[in-house]
Amino acid sequence: MAVKFFGQFLLEQRAVKQEDLLKAIELQETTNLKFGATALAMGLISLTAFERVHDAQRLEDLKFGDMAIKLGILTEEQVNQVLIRQKNNHLYIGEALVRIGALSSESLKHYLEAFKEDQAPYIVDRIVIPAGLPQPQVWEICADLTFKMLLRVAGLSTRPSASQISDRLDPVFLVGVMPFKGTVQGRYALGVTEATRLAIAKAILKEESVDGESEEVLNDTVLEFVNIVCGNIAAKAAQMGVSFEIDPPYTHFASAGPLAAVAGERILTFPIHVADGDPICLALFIHG
Amino acid sequence: MKKVLIVDDSIAVARQLEKILTGSGDFEVAGHAKNGAEAIKMKQTTKPDLICMDMNMPVMDGLTALRTLMAMDPNAKVVMVTSLGGVGDKFAEALRLGAKTVISKPFETEGVLKTLREL
Repeated sequence: MAVKFFGQFLLEQRAVKQEDLLKAIELQETTNLKFGATALAMGLISLTAFERVHDAQRLEDLKFGDMAIKLGILTEEQVNQVLIRQKNNHLYIGEALVRIGALSSESLKHYLEAFKEDQAPYIVDRIVIPAGLPQPQVWEICADLTFKMLLRVAGLSTRPSASQISDRLDPVFLVGVMPFKGTVQGRYALGVTEATRLAIAKAILKEESVDGESEEVLNDTVLEFVNIVCGNIAAKAAQMGVSFEIDPPYTHFASAGPLAAVAGERILTFPIHVADGDPICLALFIHG
Repeated sequence: MKKVLIVDDSIAVARQLEKILTGSGDFEVAGHAKNGAEAIKMKQTTKPDLICMDMNMPVMDGLTALRTLMAMDPNAKVVMVTSLGGVGDKFAEALRLGAKTVISKPFETEGVLKTLREL
């Protein structure tokens, strides 16, 4: 029960061997060239220009194509040609496995169907994100997977309210925070009440009662829940070409006061009510 | 009975995995390391048959530890544990470094046991 890649799904299903999957990944890597390499292969840029774009990317956060346009090396039309070539030549892992003879075309069809079914619960529904935030689709995924995981992992039915931009998060009891970096940068924070922490602890520890558990273990279960949600967000984001790299999570207690934005961060909050009226809050501290 | 070293910074996850392993009757827990550095030390002292190791940990992450563990013992049976859903680079990197497979969190008891029994 998690967002996963087709390759991992095939391994879990014992449909392919680890060594065959690695071979297929290697074939993918040699076939699916990066933008710059594709432009080179198409003869649209010289090696010198290629290196110039790379050097410039170290100084400014722009994609290869955008930087090449900025430097006057490629036109917008040429960038589109490269993107189309990349799309048309893209080799998916399933096709790569068929090409190396590790999977038959029939089996691929069968497993793709099974994979679609396995992943159907993770298809993102539309959640409204306020205008002006970078990469809004990532925040949609964050909210959507949080609601789904609260239900699927912790058994908590939720009623989310409309999202809003805030300047701080006022914790009711405990906040599990997970920093992330990559294409997007910031912190994922889930503020929970003591009752919600208990529900999460029971679910994570798979125990009917957690009465005898220490505070450390109970808090740790909230962090683990946050870890699971963020791991799933990272997987879903990666499928969209967005890197969302997570760092180890930490706790923030209500006794330490509000969790405020640091310079350059904006806070997108999603107040959530669980079925029994318990208020919890998802807050995304978004950099940029 | 196979001895398993659990490597995870989360006590909750270690507890959950321990429950699954010991409940099966096929495995016993050799120890619990809270990061990659501890895992490297404990591999030598506990001599586990299998290592179940988280990817995302403080001090030393799972992939760094995996690289060292495989250099120390190319026959080590390491299974990476992740909530990352096999995110592209990390997943491929783990397999390349010698991990036997990758299992996802939250755990599915039967799936975990089936995977570990086959190693």
